[in-house]
Amino acid sequence: MRNRGMVLAAAAGLTLAGCVQSRQYADVQFTPPQGNYKLLVLRPDVTVGSLTTGGMVEPRADWTNQARKSITDAIRAQQATRGGTITVIERRNELPGVTADELAEIERLNAAVDQSIVIHKYLGDYLPTKRGRGLDWTLGADAVRLGQKTGYDYALFLHAEDEVASGGRVALGILGFAGCFIGFCAPNVGGATQLNYASLVDLKTGEVVWFNVVQAGSQIPGIKFGDLRTPGGAQQMVERLLGRMKPGQAVRRQQGAR
Amino acid sequence: MCARCLELSRRSLLIGGGAAAAALAAGTAQARVKPSDMVPLVGPGYKPTERDEIGIWQLMERAEEEISGSNLLIQDPKLTGYLKDLIGTVGGPAAKDFRIYLARIPEFNAMMFPSGFAVVFSGLLLRMRNEAQLAGVVAHEAGHFLRRHQIRSWRDQKRKSDIFSFGAMLAGIGGAGIGAYLGDYVQLAQLGTLMSLFKYSRTMEAEADAMGVKLLAETGYEPMEMARVWYQLIGEEEASARYRRKRRDRGYDIFATHPSSETRMADLKLSAAEVRVPGRRYTTGRDRYLSTIGGFRQTMLDDQVKLNDPGASEYLIRTLAQDGWNGLLRFYEGEVWRLRNQPGDDVRAAQSYSAAVLYPDVPADAWRWHGITLLKEGRTGEAKAAFGRYLTMKPDAPDAAWVRQMIG
Repeated sequence: MRNRGMVLAAAAGLTLAGCVQSRQYADVQFTPPQGNYKLLVLRPDVTVGSLTTGGMVEPRADWTNQARKSITDAIRAQQATRGGTITVIERRNELPGVTADELAEIERLNAAVDQSIVIHKYLGDYLPTKRGRGLDWTLGADAVRLGQKTGYDYALFLHAEDEVASGGRVALGILGFAGCFIGFCAPNVGGATQLNYASLVDLKTGEVVWFNVVQAGSQIPGIKFGDLRTPGGAQQMVERLLGRMKPGQAVRRQQGAR
Repeated sequence: MCARCLELSRRSLLIGGGAAAAALAAGTAQARVKPSDMVPLVGPGYKPTERDEIGIWQLMERAEEEISGSNLLIQDPKLTGYLKDLIGTVGGPAAKDFRIYLARIPEFNAMMFPSGFAVVFSGLLLRMRNEAQLAGVVAHEAGHFLRRHQIRSWRDQKRKSDIFSFGAMLAGIGGAGIGAYLGDYVQLAQLGTLMSLFKYSRTMEAEADAMGVKLLAETGYEPMEMARVWYQLIGEEEASARYRRKRRDRGYDIFATHPSSETRMADLKLSAAEVRVPGRRYTTGRDRYLSTIGGFRQTMLDDQVKLNDPGASEYLIRTLAQDGWNGLLRFYEGEVWRLRNQPGDDVRAAQSYSAAVLYPDVPADAWRWHGITLLKEGRTGEAKAAFGRYLTMKPDAPDAAWVRQMIG
């Protein structure tokens, strides 16, 4: 009797085990770029590793390279549907008129701002001064200068990390599931996880106008939800991350009034 | 066979576990690694060929890009060139492959990354009394790379965590199968796994020390200087703790990633004696060291005295002064007292400032503070003269206008 209950609990756990969460914020005045705009994508920060049996992450150079390529292709394809022209920078010295150091500064500044957004918008340390103001962060004059120098309208920063459960990790989960039948139920040792986030910066004002986080994870190794290494998985991730860009609060209210 | 074990009560098991842990701990008083056993495992131009190491190197590529562009780095070509030459000398077969960066962080530290680039903190340069001491630390870091420590520890961790995870799962299932609770064994195994990881890390450090002292002697530096680095560090930590009325925190050896400073010092002394060749001359390179870092010492001392650690700062200044007092050291001795600001410290600081200004190499700020203390004592005429010297040395000081107005 007790065992059957355990198995049922495990089965219920399985359905909840793989989940994808996403939550986006936008500047109140934000309208998703449409038509004739120029978008600069600064070298997507992608890492793919293998989750070992013991729970460590083994970085994989070949997988990372595959994922970098698939994601870049997916972004190009996705943005083409919006009508913009897009440039993806793979290395810091590839942007004409801007030195590698200048670009590095922008990337670091953006990383710091992104971190602040994550702390105050996602992790619960909400700031009373920013209540009801949508996404109220800026990269300031440096970003405006980058826009003036290069002629781009927007810059997109993208971060993706993927941990693929190794064979050993999956076996550990299966063993834990097998245990459910004799009263030691531990299938949820933790499987693949994915963390992706992106921020869009308006290079005319320097403001971060849109930010999105997509988190995916499964408690049970072996359950998959899009593999960044494959073109299909990368497309799915880019669609989840960038595909459903919503306008800001004020804009939506206006549209609603009309 | 294990039927009897299950009859043990939890308490007796835990006591047994404690005894086993203690036995293991006693076993960790590890034997010294002999320098003669330390053979470099990589040759010139080493590149990884195995999957896990290739992955780690790729990750390190980005890390190095970030670190090499960090605004914490000191870019002075004289200093960076000096460090590059140094690792190029004591770096063994990989000497020409290393990259070395100097970060402005007032702490005693240096580190080697898996792909062969090292970061040295400015606090280390401040603490070293001669080139041999610095070369010793650099050679230790080079030793980590030459002995492939990072990938070896990574694989050790991976293997042990894999075994533990499967073992713990099997213990749970097995226990359920025979109707017994094996959680205590699992906890014991976890403790054992952890301790064995720490022990592995300490062995790697002992290896790097042995490799380092060997490289040092081979390149003609006085190998005994490496042990002196630890002597100085122990002294500094004790002085720092004494000032705070605490005991120096020596931690617990079994949970430490590095052997204790005492062990390292003792082992390095023995190893240094082993690697010395009778009749060969070994240098400390003190003059070259001081002339290279001399211009930068003020910044480093400035960073140090602002750490609000008067015990350590005073010890450090006194240690450096064993090679002779000068205006710079006397001035910062005064700064330690002034910033500490306890009863009587104003008098001590005033004495240091007035001693500092007697040296030809005194920094301008010493004249400024000398002037202020004279002013407090009511010696206006002398104070004005001191301020005059300050302005001559530093005409565009940020407070120049105010000082000029004071002199009248």
